[in-house]
Amino acid sequence: MIKGWTGKRLRIDLGFQKAWVEDIAPADLRQWFGGRGLNASFFVQHFPSPISPASPENPVAFAAGPLTGTLAPASGWTSIASISPILDPPRYGITRMAGHFGASLKGAGFDQCIIQGRANRPVYLWIDGEEVKFEKADHLWGKETTGTTVAIQEEKADRSVEVLCIGPAGERRLPFANAIHRLSWTGDHLGLGYLFGVKQLKAIAIRGKKPITLHDPQRFLNLCLGLKDRIQKDRKIRRLRESGAFSLLEREGGVMMKQGTGRLPFGSEKQWAISLRTHVSGRQSCFSCPVHCGVNIEYQRGYFGGIHPEKAWHWGPQIGVYNGEWTLKLLRFCQTRGLDPFLAGSLLTRILEGVETGPLSEEDLRQADGIEDQGEKAFFILHRLIDSSRKEFDLVASRCPENEDLDVLADILSFCLVVVNRLNLMTVSNMIDLVHAATGYALSKKELRDTIWNILQMESRLQNKQLHPTDESPLPHFGEGQISEILRKEEHHNESIIHGTAS
Amino acid sequence: MNTVSVIPERCTGCQCCEMVCSLSHEGFCSPSLSRIRVKKWEEISVFIPIICQQCEKPPCVDICPTGARERTPGTDTVMTDENRCVGCKSCLYACPYSAPVLHLLTKRTMTCDLCHGQPLCTQVCTAGALSYGPEGILSTEKRRAFAQTLLHSTRSR
Repeated sequence: MIKGWTGKRLRIDLGFQKAWVEDIAPADLRQWFGGRGLNASFFVQHFPSPISPASPENPVAFAAGPLTGTLAPASGWTSIASISPILDPPRYGITRMAGHFGASLKGAGFDQCIIQGRANRPVYLWIDGEEVKFEKADHLWGKETTGTTVAIQEEKADRSVEVLCIGPAGERRLPFANAIHRLSWTGDHLGLGYLFGVKQLKAIAIRGKKPITLHDPQRFLNLCLGLKDRIQKDRKIRRLRESGAFSLLEREGGVMMKQGTGRLPFGSEKQWAISLRTHVSGRQSCFSCPVHCGVNIEYQRGYFGGIHPEKAWHWGPQIGVYNGEWTLKLLRFCQTRGLDPFLAGSLLTRILEGVETGPLSEEDLRQADGIEDQGEKAFFILHRLIDSSRKEFDLVASRCPENEDLDVLADILSFCLVVVNRLNLMTVSNMIDLVHAATGYALSKKELRDTIWNILQMESRLQNKQLHPTDESPLPHFGEGQISEILRKEEHHNESIIHGTAS
Repeated sequence: MNTVSVIPERCTGCQCCEMVCSLSHEGFCSPSLSRIRVKKWEEISVFIPIICQQCEKPPCVDICPTGARERTPGTDTVMTDENRCVGCKSCLYACPYSAPVLHLLTKRTMTCDLCHGQPLCTQVCTAGALSYGPEGILSTEKRRAFAQTLLHSTRSR
């Protein structure tokens, strides 16, 4: 019997209103673990070349990992993959979502859920264990995310139901719309709201009650308690817990400073953070996480949680807003309408920059007015817009992974990227131990390295990128890359500890 | 007498307590096998853990028709004797919190057994919502916190 994993894949066709369950071969589970790996292998098998994001067949894949829904610290993340409308040209895109959604998917008895087809009228999916229903959502269409979440929970008379829904932005098929879960956590950078909107899918509501079986419960318990204790005592985590995710802002700020506004008065970012902090009212946490970095904000009788620094930053200093009140107003707008704060933020940066410094100068406009031919006029304006813009227009907000390999590892095991990759609070050996205790599968470090390399290769094939480990690739750390480096360091560290205690 | 005390304002809804409870007692991970349950209202960000408070005068013991609910001699806990429980659920109705939960598989009720004097949920609750100790601690802490806000407001005036 499979332990840790559930070994099941839920397939849903919205067009025919059919749902069926497939088995995932144990060999596949051991090769790809879960999350990002499972999603990539599904796409390689069924959709090796990109299709239109608007087509009904375009699958939206959700996947959890072998440790999702267990006590393992910071293991509540969900990987999401689809052909994304925001990539140009549209191609395979991935994202991950924090929160509780993956845990409830696992509790319903599935490692992966694939949604295809287009409903002929608005529906929401109701997954209660293995029972799947396509419920009418006409009365929810047009509703804001808060209202939708509460309405579905009251309809099902169970507030423990987890809801992932879109707002009016997704319904109107804005490519930079997202889906929101527990009114705090979102799947960003993918256009998830657009994909839901195209499928006429308003929400997914899950109630998961199935227990997750473990290979060695006692050892797993001890490992988790030890890890939680260590994470809790860490200095960085303490700071994170005391001042929320705002404590990470200094590092974010340097990278994403708005360009073109000149020098700002000293300390204005700090003032902005302080003005945000006055609205903080408690904290919120992802599933089974000892960090609790989500900050709850109470603003004008509206609550919203899980504010991460990047999100607030995109509606703050990134667009030149140094008044915390406005940042909150903008964030609240995003949250209720279901807009991706990152994408909408970077789009707005571009537009605002246009308003302020003008890619089209007054002289340009005068010249354009003088052109008779409409075609020539259009060409002139477009030409000026593109060529005179000083800043690169990047709709997808820049992310700089500190270590791509660790990102993949966190994604396939559904761990939190902040804990694993940014703060490095869990070693690779810790994760291997946890997987062993949960699933009974003792994986070697070489296998892990191969898996990560294979996943990166699959993804680059899906995205039509060519990867050559020996060439000078844009990502300098492939194959015999970073993960080996980390493992070497860890071993060295362990040795020195043993050496230290012996002497 | 020691109990698990709850400060709901501090709960962040991480469900660590549910996980550690079900894992240590049943060997599985599932919120529905846990003796502690976190109730949520996400639109106002409120999370409240519900757990047996080991009452002085437990209504569940009074109402239990088979005498399965009883205070375990020598400990502070009020427990269900699985052999005598018939799963009538009357303790759920009588309890002011509805703290007893039905076991997913045996369909008998179960409540907190304080993990033999070292409740794991209080150990994993890094948010500080759960604590274990004499009942006096909670009220003293709350009074102190209130006094402190009072102090701040008078000082800042």
